[in-house]
Amino acid sequence: MKLTPFLLVLPAVGYIVAFSFFPTIDAVYLSFQDPHGGLSLHNYQELSYFNVGGAIVDTVLVTVGALLIQLALGFLVASVLSREFRGKKALSTAAIIPMGVATVVAAITFSFIFQTSGGYANTVVHSILGTNVNWYQSSLSSLLVVMIADSWKNTPIVSLILLAGMSSIPRELYYSAAIDGAGPVRRFIHVTLPNLRSFIGVALILRGVQEFNIFALPLILVGDHPPLLTTLVYNLYTTTFPEVGLALAAATVLLGFILVFMGVVIKLTGGRTT
Amino acid sequence: MKWAYIGAIFVGVYFLLPLYILFLLAFNTPQYTILARYPSFAPISLTLANLASSLQGSSFIDPLVKSLETATLVGIITVILAIPAGYGLSRLPRGVAYPILVLLLVTNMMPAIVIGIPIAVEFIKLHLFETVEGLSLAQTLITLPLATFILQGTFSSIPVDLENQARIDGAGLLRRLFSVLLPLAAPGIAAAFLISWMFSWDEFTYAILLIPFHSTLPVTIYSDVTRGNLLAGVAFSLVFTLPVIALTLALQKYLRGEYLAGGIKG
Repeated sequence: MKLTPFLLVLPAVGYIVAFSFFPTIDAVYLSFQDPHGGLSLHNYQELSYFNVGGAIVDTVLVTVGALLIQLALGFLVASVLSREFRGKKALSTAAIIPMGVATVVAAITFSFIFQTSGGYANTVVHSILGTNVNWYQSSLSSLLVVMIADSWKNTPIVSLILLAGMSSIPRELYYSAAIDGAGPVRRFIHVTLPNLRSFIGVALILRGVQEFNIFALPLILVGDHPPLLTTLVYNLYTTTFPEVGLALAAATVLLGFILVFMGVVIKLTGGRTT
Repeated sequence: MKWAYIGAIFVGVYFLLPLYILFLLAFNTPQYTILARYPSFAPISLTLANLASSLQGSSFIDPLVKSLETATLVGIITVILAIPAGYGLSRLPRGVAYPILVLLLVTNMMPAIVIGIPIAVEFIKLHLFETVEGLSLAQTLITLPLATFILQGTFSSIPVDLENQARIDGAGLLRRLFSVLLPLAAPGIAAAFLISWMFSWDEFTYAILLIPFHSTLPVTIYSDVTRGNLLAGVAFSLVFTLPVIALTLALQKYLRGEYLAGGIKG
């Protein structure tokens, strides 16, 4: 094996390791440091005063909820786009547009849609039911607003991955299943889903990690009430600076969740087996 | 067949309606949008006054320039690092290239907010805090793995024979790179640059941590909205969105599921 290719790869790998690994290790190490410079769980004990438990629960809720919505919508989009019909090209263009809309812009647009007084969602609800909905009444409904806005922005990428998967399934499998008397639902469960396992896994890893990190969207839509791990980290960072230990402890908790999530998804979807 | 059309209409409305609402907010007079109890879905009173009054303030030019500078710098740093990496990976055996790619992609999954805080603390010491250069260095973390992956694919599709012929003709590595490889890889390089540009244009977490006071456009929009300057936020959003939608449509053929899925599977 020649040495040149290795040398060419080195700068990029070095860059990533220097800027990503070391700060991460630094963050974890500093999170265990107490104000006197000794190592302890001091920061983690302090965290319980800042509703870290609630932030963890909210983060898991948003992640699971948003992933379910995106998978469901992604399957809908992919199965529509895997058929031939007039206007297919226009639709696939429309379905990719939210990818180009900045997260901040999506968040602002959805904050106008879900405005408590006035707001386009209430225009619709009012004309049908004659009442108003306060979308931010409970933390669960606030989180739902976050999930919906996030799914608008991110369903396209899930659809693209699922569509790639669907087009890789041989048509004959569907024909023989149909001959055996399987309806659309059973064909979906017994042919589509098992064949898409690794593609669903890719979508879950790609989106799931981002979902745990969801930051700009909730910051604009709900601020830090209810808090997610990321908005909690940011809140602690801006209020306790230069004592960043607390923020880093919350960040370390977030990192832990992401590592566990990646492990679970890789295990469930069979990792790199195709 | 009927179901496909119903599904298509639902999908179309779902993806386009929020954009239509953004359009209404930007061009309708405020009484019918943000001041209305039940804002109307009809374009009742289209006007350019909102945009004109918001865009007149100079608070908009500076962030826009910063965003442009940062995105361009990120694109350049990314491509400079990703071209040799992509080429090197395409010439290594799969068993070696695959773990390196996974390493790059896994680091891409590290939360920006975890990395951002120690980097911010470090940058304050190095006088890189509040600078476009510092922000670009951090944002390259997000774009580099992706660009490397795209370019690895691009260089892999160039036949090794072509390169070997040049080698027989006595061309060294640099000569081969500039006269054979780079021209053939140009579309992939353009895609890698544009995708890096787009990601940086949209990036918020590093921007708000590393350049919080005189920041890029996303952070400015955020602070406008939190200060109650809603119409300005909407107007800037529109300015911010149109170029990227144009880029997305131009890049449509590169934004494919196969590429993304292949990235994880190796």
